[in-house]
Amino acid sequence: MALELLKNVTLPKTATIYPIRWRSRIYAIVGLALLLGITVIVTLAVGSTHITFDTLCRVLLAKLTFIHAEPTWASNIETIIFDIRLPRLLLAGLVGAALAVAGTTYQGLFRNPLADPYLIGVAQGAALGAVIGFMLPISWQAGSIPLLAFIGAILAVAIVYSIARVGKTLPMTTLILAGVALGAFLAAITSYLMIASGDKLHGIISWLLGTFSLTSWWQVAMVTPYIFVGTIIIWLHARPLNVMQLDEEQAQQLGINVEQVKLILLGAATMITAAAVCFCGIIGFVGIIIPHTVRLIWGPDHRFLLPLATFAGAIFLILSDTAARTMLAPTEIPVGIITAFLGAPFFLYLLRQKKRAIF
Amino acid sequence: MSHNIRENLCILGALALFLCFSCVPQSPPGNIVDGLGRSVTIDKIPQRIVSLAPSNTEILFALGLGDKVVGVTEYCNYPQEAKTKPKVGGFSTVDIEKVVSLEPDLVLATQIHGKTVIPALEKLGLPVVALTPGSLNEVLDSITLVGKITGQSREASKLINDLGTRIEAVADKTQNLSPDQKPRVFYITWHDPLMTAGTRTLADDVIGSAGGQNIAFDISGDKTINLETVIYRDPQVIIASVGMGTGEDLPWQYVQTETRLKNTQALLNNRVYKIDGDLIHRPGPRVVDALEQMAHFIHPELFK
Repeated sequence: MALELLKNVTLPKTATIYPIRWRSRIYAIVGLALLLGITVIVTLAVGSTHITFDTLCRVLLAKLTFIHAEPTWASNIETIIFDIRLPRLLLAGLVGAALAVAGTTYQGLFRNPLADPYLIGVAQGAALGAVIGFMLPISWQAGSIPLLAFIGAILAVAIVYSIARVGKTLPMTTLILAGVALGAFLAAITSYLMIASGDKLHGIISWLLGTFSLTSWWQVAMVTPYIFVGTIIIWLHARPLNVMQLDEEQAQQLGINVEQVKLILLGAATMITAAAVCFCGIIGFVGIIIPHTVRLIWGPDHRFLLPLATFAGAIFLILSDTAARTMLAPTEIPVGIITAFLGAPFFLYLLRQKKRAIF
Repeated sequence: MSHNIRENLCILGALALFLCFSCVPQSPPGNIVDGLGRSVTIDKIPQRIVSLAPSNTEILFALGLGDKVVGVTEYCNYPQEAKTKPKVGGFSTVDIEKVVSLEPDLVLATQIHGKTVIPALEKLGLPVVALTPGSLNEVLDSITLVGKITGQSREASKLINDLGTRIEAVADKTQNLSPDQKPRVFYITWHDPLMTAGTRTLADDVIGSAGGQNIAFDISGDKTINLETVIYRDPQVIIASVGMGTGEDLPWQYVQTETRLKNTQALLNNRVYKIDGDLIHRPGPRVVDALEQMAHFIHPELFK
């Protein structure tokens, strides 16, 4: 995909902005994709239950290939690997990828290093939706919390968008301000509902901090199409996103339909963020730290930045969730605490190491 | 533990006898040390009592002090009469102004009020006593303490005698079981996130006293637990806490519908039970009801 995009580049003006280190970046993309695969296999073997790597390999061989092997393991080991750990770490990977891509997109669109996927109301909308779900009569709750969270996120951004729109254009500053203001308003309602929620408070707080604790396959199946389609759409807009880094006016002159690109990217980034948060809650930090880390290491060219951030986000969140479920096992830590706790110091370290401008 | 109870009972019995014979009119309790180790002076027998926890309310009513209770929390739903009392707020969110306006001469708090509510009330000159029972024995101790403070020592020792006898009856059947005879019990308090009661909780003491082994033996307090840990430890009995505040049985439904639990011993042998969360989590007299139910669930062969 990235290769194809490269061939189509016809704008030497923008291309010369970036140092030409394409080959090493392509290696980096392949390398991170491989690392993601390895991460999945290795973390599958890690958990509060001790399962040796040897057992894991034999279970995987028996289950995934059709080689018949006498099971030498208890049947609950199979349940633990295939129905608990695998869906959980796949969802963590998908959510990590989605948040990192959405973060990169927002930072690019807003040309603002502080932008994160939650900047224009997604998180507050999702949180309000989820909290309303928690307040519903209990027998309706199970499916309604993720649904309401998803709807809340999309609605919040739609409202912000329609407020910020001036005629046919969308000034980014107005969009941010409208997002922050509406976010504060929604957060106020959410806080009030939390205070009034009584004994449901623990469930709500746990959702808000983000957790993958009960992930099963149907959640993975629900989220995958949204995140997959949204991510592909964003990847395909890497070049216009690069050009828009110059200036919207210049981008327009260079033949890019800026307003249309903004709308598509905002829509796609919002959709994948909403899909990411609706089951596991508001996981912070991934969307801001992964794009910056990748940018610090491999540079700001979106054609590489977007795929690299996708894989890095997935790896980071899988590792964070592994820490969340093992550090204090058999009890769990909300993964949002881990992402901030591990992510922030690492990011600060990178900042110290590479004292150059991020943007 | 049962030895302790016997000892307690003897002392209390003696105390009760002493009280009967001495026939002293109720004397002011004077200096007492409460559950948080605070020393409190109660000069005269309290006539207007505010309770800041459902368990405290239940103890007060069980000692026949219902008409002296002038304020309770929104969660105080037992006995029925408690619901008609003025409300002073939620469990941790106490409306200090409301408490003051009720002019209590005793406020019964718990450990969660230790850092915030108690200093605020003390500053306003209200006598506050905290009850912090974390086990069956400590519930009995709390009842004794409340009896002493309120001049109802006779009622308290009668109640403790009764509760103690019932605890003994369960202990007699379960204390000599070997570890193999004690089923592994998973006690689920909430399903999303999956939560359980680990060691140093009242529920853990109830499970142990009822002759079960809590699978959350390496967790301390009320915490989340990994689903994979639950499956790996393969509980033989699952007890779902229901009706916490809302009167619903969501954790129980979760256990029934979670496909990943269906190969555990408890599901295979259809041994999933409901227990009223208000009984087992409130360190009041009704926790003994929870103990009897729990014993019946875990050892149906011993408790018919």
